Amino acid sequence: MASVNSTAAAAATPVPASMPKRPGMMKRLLKEPVAAIAFALVVALIGAAVFAPWLAPTDPFDNDLANAMAVPGTEGLLLGADSQGRNMITRLLYGLRVTMTMGLASVLLGGVVGALVGFSAAFYSRIDGVLMRLMDVLLSFPAILFGLAIAAIFGPGIPAVVLALSVATVPLMARIVRGAALVVMRMDYIEAARSTGMGDARLILRHLAPNCLSPIFVFATLRFGQVILLGSALSFLGLGAQPPLAELGAMASEGRNFLFFAPHIAVIPCVLIFVVVLAFNVLGDALRDALDPRLRS
Amino acid sequence: MTTPLLEVEGLQKHYPVKKGIVLQKQVGAVKAVDGVSFTVNRGETLALVGESGCGKSTTARLVLRLIEPSAGTIRFDGQDVTKVGGGAMRALRRRMQIVFQDPYASLNPRLTVGDAIAEPMAVHGIGNAASRQAKVQELLRLVGLQPFHAERYPHEFSGGQRQRIGIARALSVEPELVVCDEPVSALDVSIQAQVVNLMKDLQARLGLSYLFIAHDLAVVKHMADRIAVMYLGAVMEIGGKQALFAKPRHPYTRALLAAIPHPDPARRGRVTPLGGDVPSPLAVPPGCRFHTRCPFAQERCKLEVPQLRDVGDGQQVACHFSETLPDAGLDYSGGLTDAAARRLALYDAARRKAA
Repeated sequence: MASVNSTAAAAATPVPASMPKRPGMMKRLLKEPVAAIAFALVVALIGAAVFAPWLAPTDPFDNDLANAMAVPGTEGLLLGADSQGRNMITRLLYGLRVTMTMGLASVLLGGVVGALVGFSAAFYSRIDGVLMRLMDVLLSFPAILFGLAIAAIFGPGIPAVVLALSVATVPLMARIVRGAALVVMRMDYIEAARSTGMGDARLILRHLAPNCLSPIFVFATLRFGQVILLGSALSFLGLGAQPPLAELGAMASEGRNFLFFAPHIAVIPCVLIFVVVLAFNVLGDALRDALDPRLRS
Repeated sequence: MTTPLLEVEGLQKHYPVKKGIVLQKQVGAVKAVDGVSFTVNRGETLALVGESGCGKSTTARLVLRLIEPSAGTIRFDGQDVTKVGGGAMRALRRRMQIVFQDPYASLNPRLTVGDAIAEPMAVHGIGNAASRQAKVQELLRLVGLQPFHAERYPHEFSGGQRQRIGIARALSVEPELVVCDEPVSALDVSIQAQVVNLMKDLQARLGLSYLFIAHDLAVVKHMADRIAVMYLGAVMEIGGKQALFAKPRHPYTRALLAAIPHPDPARRGRVTPLGGDVPSPLAVPPGCRFHTRCPFAQERCKLEVPQLRDVGDGQQVACHFSETLPDAGLDYSGGLTDAAARRLALYDAARRKAA
């Protein structure tokens, strides 16, 4: 198509008859080597978590006290065994599963609710005050306190942790989204969209939300790391994962008792948490850039 | 004569100023627009001119009902815009569109140009995806861009090109009235001429009416059929372009026109610039709102609000003494006609030659 129209006076510079095809979002994302590595890591971690039952060499609850605190490299135990003599590899795979589900679920749930609140507050100035004061109330409770309260109501366990961490994420996300949305609301294209008579939902989804994506992405990936650490803290307090369930944070806190005799029990789960958080952060950053048309070369 | 396309009467927008945290008391009001009346006929361009902060843009947004007026009526093709509800308002919105001042803020950076232009049509359910695509191509050509530009994003265009995209978007639903809120103020001079000429072209071709807001009098003189001069939220004078430039009847209009840079050095000293500042719209002076700065103000001006009244030639003026004002003997349009008009004509000619 795109034939050069010679009658167009504005086209002062000659233009090629056809434009090269734009690279897709995925291609742009993977062009950065760091982003590609992070992407590969995230895929591998998710794969490991999903296929843990097939990948794990042993049952996660299979203890063998003869091998208790076996050091990495022991016959048949590449990463050693924990204080109960359970294979670390198995425990890590299952732990990754629980930890990542917990982190993703909390960030997703809390983030979506928080974003809805934030967009509503920015868009409907009438309810802005009420909504944001409510968020301030939520913000004044530490996440641990929510965990205690929710565990007291529903009993300790992973669902309680997810709920508590979601509630703790809502006000943070709401404030960030509202701040970003207020800036976008002042732009002329919002007014232009309004002047066409489109509905609020369309305006928010098509014009407001896409232009608030950058801070949302950055916050969600940062929060993912925080949530995993908070979840570990709750597990440590006995409110989250209950033994013998494997969860990275719980494993780390359990290993703390043997830090001097068998450091690998605590260190390896911590390293894995670090890798998970880092990979998600880097990928989140890269995703934000890939989604922004202005940053395309 | 048929009914005018747009009739605005006694339009007001007052923003309350409140004090107190719990029990809020209204302690005053910013009178952004304070009783504005004008009409726009079909196929006509009415320019609103005035200093920054005089309520031009607020008036534009009130007309489109992007903000709700405090009082007054806006009739579009006989229908009162301030009273119609949901569905009827949507139908009206299709018939009036807006072009913004800042071409860098008026396009959503996340939408391709094609999507942006097609969106108003999609909102109003005009055609299907394919026919909208075809219309986008046609509109792009109409405003002097290339059809393949539809796939690009706004940041890939210059300011002038973006303004054309904004115009194409406004025209996509075939409106009758286009409100132009300083459409060329953010563009540099040569691009201004291109866009102004494009808008004139489109008006002739599509029979559009423009409510054209500007502060550049050279552009106004080129674009407008009639001009309304605003000061501090009210209209001071309305008249045909020729009459108003040849014989401004209001002291404020005179001051505004006299402020146009003029190439005649002999003029120096004969023009007295206005003293003082624009009063705050929080405390509009009683009587004539211009009396604090008017060189001809008398006792009556401080007491009695002058109403817009006909003074012949289709000119209306809100001044008690417009007939008895001393004639300063200035040629108000002199500064404009030569250089600016020639410049615009030159661009126009070049444009036609290229086409």
